Amino acid sequence: MNRRVLSLFLIIGAAALASGCVSLGVKPWQRDLLSRQDMQLNGNVLDDAIDDHLYFSKEASSGGRSFAGGGCGCN
Amino acid sequence: MKRDEGGVRRRLIAASCALLSASAGRTEEAPNTGVQRALTDWSLDSALAYYHEDGRVQAVEPVVSVSKAYGDGASIGLNLTFDALSGASPNGASPSSTPQTFASPSGKSLTGGKHSYTTAPGDLPEDPHYSDLRAALGVDWTLPLERLLTAGFGAKLSYEDDFYSGSVNASIARDFNQKNTTVSFGASYEADSLHPIGGTPVPLSSYALFEKTGNQSKDGAGLLLNLTQVMSRNWLSEVSLSLDRFTGYLNDPYKIISVIDASGDVRGYIYENRPDSRTRRSVYLDNRVAWERSSTGLSLRYMTDDWGIHSETAQLHLRWWTAERDKYVQPTLRWYRQSAASFYSPWLFDSTAPQLSTASSDSRLAALQALTYGLKYGIKLRDKLGRESSEFNVRIEYYQQTQENRLPGPGTLRGLDLYPDLKAILVQIGFSY
Amino acid sequence: MAQTARNSPAGPLVVEERTRNFYAASFSAMAGPCEVLIHTSNREHALELGELVAHEAWRVEQKYSRYRDDSVLAWIHRNRGNEISVDAETTSLLDFAAHCYELSDGRFDVTSGVLRRAWRFDGSDRVPEQAAVKRLLPLVGFDKLRWQPPKLLLPLDMELDFGGIGKEYAVDRAYDLAVAHRSDPFLINFGGDLRTNRAPPDAPWRVGIERPGAEREAALVLTLERGALATSGDSRRFLLKDSVRYGHILDPRSGWPVPNAPRSVTVAASSCTEAGLLATLAMLQGAQASCFLEAQQVQHWVLE
Repeated sequence: MNRRVLSLFLIIGAAALASGCVSLGVKPWQRDLLSRQDMQLNGNVLDDAIDDHLYFSKEASSGGRSFAGGGCGCN
Repeated sequence: MKRDEGGVRRRLIAASCALLSASAGRTEEAPNTGVQRALTDWSLDSALAYYHEDGRVQAVEPVVSVSKAYGDGASIGLNLTFDALSGASPNGASPSSTPQTFASPSGKSLTGGKHSYTTAPGDLPEDPHYSDLRAALGVDWTLPLERLLTAGFGAKLSYEDDFYSGSVNASIARDFNQKNTTVSFGASYEADSLHPIGGTPVPLSSYALFEKTGNQSKDGAGLLLNLTQVMSRNWLSEVSLSLDRFTGYLNDPYKIISVIDASGDVRGYIYENRPDSRTRRSVYLDNRVAWERSSTGLSLRYMTDDWGIHSETAQLHLRWWTAERDKYVQPTLRWYRQSAASFYSPWLFDSTAPQLSTASSDSRLAALQALTYGLKYGIKLRDKLGRESSEFNVRIEYYQQTQENRLPGPGTLRGLDLYPDLKAILVQIGFSY
Repeated sequence: MAQTARNSPAGPLVVEERTRNFYAASFSAMAGPCEVLIHTSNREHALELGELVAHEAWRVEQKYSRYRDDSVLAWIHRNRGNEISVDAETTSLLDFAAHCYELSDGRFDVTSGVLRRAWRFDGSDRVPEQAAVKRLLPLVGFDKLRWQPPKLLLPLDMELDFGGIGKEYAVDRAYDLAVAHRSDPFLINFGGDLRTNRAPPDAPWRVGIERPGAEREAALVLTLERGALATSGDSRRFLLKDSVRYGHILDPRSGWPVPNAPRSVTVAASSCTEAGLLATLAMLQGAQASCFLEAQQVQHWVLE
């Protein structure tokens, strides 16, 4: 896919998400499923850290969802 | 007219029981929290991972993370990582039709081992004595500033015998819309110091001459913008934009490039050289959906940088819980693809090599595709009151990386497998409390 | 003392640590102050529980409020004279009202709200004329509406008012949700109607009952380990004429306040609804309040 088109799509998608956000959501007592461990965005910190280290040392990309930079000499 | 006054209460009890039990039967607004979690403000996460590449390096990596939550919403965390690598690591040179011997002038191999090594014809040159030991310590601190505003700080130190790294980060997050929307902004800074074993080679200089220079350093800063949004009771969405820029010594001091002539014979090797700055931008999207006993997540990342590399990553996971919610199974799938860096070349021709200012044959900068298949199994343990207290888990992953754009070699290199796949397996056990 | 506050369309919820390991989540509902006290060292748990209880209180209030035109009660009133089908929760409340009407011999009547048009309990001496009250009596009487669950036919000009049990019902509903969510000791208090699951480890809950006329002074201090407490009283709503005090609890059969009713009745029972009903019925017995409660074999405190 054309790189520019793809990045434009992702930015627009993110902006659409952000602008539509004001009315979205749930009441505090409807957060039962969201509070489950497998729905936490940081629920698997150790697995993510081990995987990120592996991918950082074998590929050219890193980070994206948290601070980039490997902090190790493996790349 | 006078009733049995004592009977009033009995009938009232019956009537109010009927009222309250009828209401309790309705679960529309009742929270479904499943099994309660035991109250604790300390938590521990630990894992021991074993990594093994087919015919190459293997590593053992224990990780421990401890955190404490305070009553006012603040929390402090400490994490410790050890990493012990050993085995055979590709040195960047290409296979050849004749045996190749590698040794530094001092008799030490590239990575400090005390032997030279020879690669058989057709094999990928690898330093068999590669070894590295790393220890890293990180701290993080979350601090609520106001009702809807939270600050976070972190610092990390990493130590290997040829590489020191220190980094700090800070972020601020604001909740909106009854905590359904969270926007956060963060910045980070990292400074690294390199002192390669045997000295830092002069970039693009001849391997045989091994001219050295002194220690090197690099540093970089990054910015991160994140938006998290609760879409519905089942669906959570996240988007992140990040930007970072590193400057300084960005080379791999141990990697060399084969310089060949038109008939495929090796004329020599030179040390690689990469640009002295790298700016990266990425967009990351994550969506998770939950049901009563299962959940799924799909994350996408698109990265682009000024080295000519752009990459796409897609990661899917599914989790299934048993009916008692005490065990789960989680298959995962990751697909990754990247384009090559503009200065990447699997080898260099002796006619053009002298004119280049940057070049690298590090396969990690090549056009490649990778697939990871994973499976995780976890068991939740309960305490005497039936509340969840800890978890044991085991995880296995299979990683396969394949080079794209496999340019056939000229002359004697034709017919050789110049781009062997990387196959690796990761096995991990974990315990959390 | 750090405070956490949440804002919702119904008002703020404020959580603060009162003493070590004791959090209080306070909010406003049903025309009065409400709070949940919870014994925990974790603020997040206190906040979760506070939100749960507050939202249930606001939900019940919004559904059955006389003052809102988006409530189910307003919808019932807009359809007077027509037969309508009500939802499951309203059905169970009407069934309960029917039982109470019967076992109290008509003293407890959810259709007695129309009498409000004659009686304004503002502490003045404006007692209505006999004729004015007599005119309203034909509009009072649970037996006058047609109730075949879930079908209700409310005649024109009649009114339904769950005010007599609404607060206690909300306490019980919030209690059921809270007890399913957390096992820490907590006490729900909606303006004097209380319920607790268990006492904190060091000491039972201490509840003060105000002496009518001398608010802020606890006339009685009770200890509560589990169960519910409800108080019925006239301390703030009454009329005083010719040295006769008219309490705000009206006998639907006569349209007049019960003579010689005690100033305040507090009853302990296992649910708040039960305790509240018994306190109201005791008030309606007038001078016989104590006898009535003794016959029911419940713990009670009557203040004259």
